[in-house]
Amino acid sequence: MSRRRHKEMQISEGELRSMTGDLEEVHQASLAPLGNAVAEWVDLNRSTTRRRFLLGAAATGAGAVLVACGDEKKTVRPTTETTVGATGSLSGDLRIAALAASLENLAIGTYQAALDATAANKLGGVPPAVVTFVETAKRHHGEHAAAWNAILTSAGKTRVTEPDQAIKGQIDGAFAQVRDFAGLARLALGLENVAAATYLDGIGVIQNNQALKTAASIHPVELQHAAILNFVLGNYPVPDAFAKTEGARPPTDYPG
Amino acid sequence: MSLDERALHELLVESEDLHSDAMRTTRESLRDLVALGAGALAAGGLGRAVLRFFDTPAFAKESPDIQIMQTAASIENLAVSTYDAALGLPFMAGVPVLVKTFMMKTKDQHAEHGRAFNATATRLGGAAQNGPDPELKKVVDAKLPTLKAPGDVVDLAITLETGAAQTYVANTAALNDVDARKVVASVMGVEAQHISILNAVQALLGTPDLLTLPPPASRLPAPAGSVGFPDSFLKTEQARPGDEGAIK
Repeated sequence: MSRRRHKEMQISEGELRSMTGDLEEVHQASLAPLGNAVAEWVDLNRSTTRRRFLLGAAATGAGAVLVACGDEKKTVRPTTETTVGATGSLSGDLRIAALAASLENLAIGTYQAALDATAANKLGGVPPAVVTFVETAKRHHGEHAAAWNAILTSAGKTRVTEPDQAIKGQIDGAFAQVRDFAGLARLALGLENVAAATYLDGIGVIQNNQALKTAASIHPVELQHAAILNFVLGNYPVPDAFAKTEGARPPTDYPG
Repeated sequence: MSLDERALHELLVESEDLHSDAMRTTRESLRDLVALGAGALAAGGLGRAVLRFFDTPAFAKESPDIQIMQTAASIENLAVSTYDAALGLPFMAGVPVLVKTFMMKTKDQHAEHGRAFNATATRLGGAAQNGPDPELKKVVDAKLPTLKAPGDVVDLAITLETGAAQTYVANTAALNDVDARKVVASVMGVEAQHISILNAVQALLGTPDLLTLPPPASRLPAPAGSVGFPDSFLKTEQARPGDEGAIK
């Protein structure tokens, strides 16, 4: 097209739409890498401390705004894809975040009960390494719960402080039968495997990039807990070449 | 439909100006962030991210997903050959049976991972990567001649497993193809488990009688309960670039 010619141009509406589409694609193609760069910055800032994570979560909001007009098939997924139902109930990624927080809370409560039972000498002699494991795993789960709750609160939702009610009764019943550290390790192994499976399952459906990164950074740690528990129990510590989703809790565990 | 070409041209120029303004403003904001955050960030992290963006053409030359899967396969290929080489070292004959069994099975698991990644790469239309990650191979090649004891081997294995696990965590959020994402995600936790056990082995190599299944739990030192998982979130600072092992 020449700048010097200013006469009427014959063009079909379809051609114009196509040209406009091409322009839009160019625009979107340049935005997606930008969004990725911003998301990477957010990820770099989200380190192991809760303070840093909260800073990262706050920055995600800005990143999401930047990419909100991007192609939804691209890597960076806008926060707006995390939906809240018409009634104000949680759905989509936020419901998965709530489920994750509730599972983490269940683990925290169970490990605390184990520490209390150990202190009360109700489990016989609990090896020091097992006590260290329980204390460390409990702290990890606390940080995981905080991470999920940061996502919820950054979306204007309430923190989840209760354990997963769908399986709490089952876990409590199993804990009541625990008589020694081996029984405790078996129960803990079940909890860790359920958490890991739930995260892996969630990774297949989560849309929000920050939630996806959070799940991806937690899932391996739950499996690390499981590996050490398997070792202590005398099982081969890395039994599967690929992590499984069997036993994953469904988002419906958390009331929508 | 009849249009005034001049009006259309002006609209297009205006659109381009708007786009350029938006990009320039964002660049400036990011540069400000670089300046503000330089002290707190991991060395060069933001700089690398931003520079990579600015160096990235609007249209990538080929599918990033395929490159990521090829790189993942290349990491696995290197892991297989490294464990193979390490297991053949004379001093490894004396390690506890559990350690030797673990390394052999871990090698097999890496081979399975490599096949899964290559199957995904070919499903996406790319070629299978049967070679090693070139950058990590330099690390391995430099280390192999210096390995003098089982602890050295474990250190090298931890380096490789950490690179693999962190790369896959990063890949999980970077992949566009959901099935590819699921494959990578199903492997990252397994590599993390390898790290856990290698950390435990490293801590217990001095007391080989504790490296049995099951171990004498009451004799395990207290730190053994947490040595396998030093971080509550798996990091990505040692993740390999997604195109590092791609077929050129």
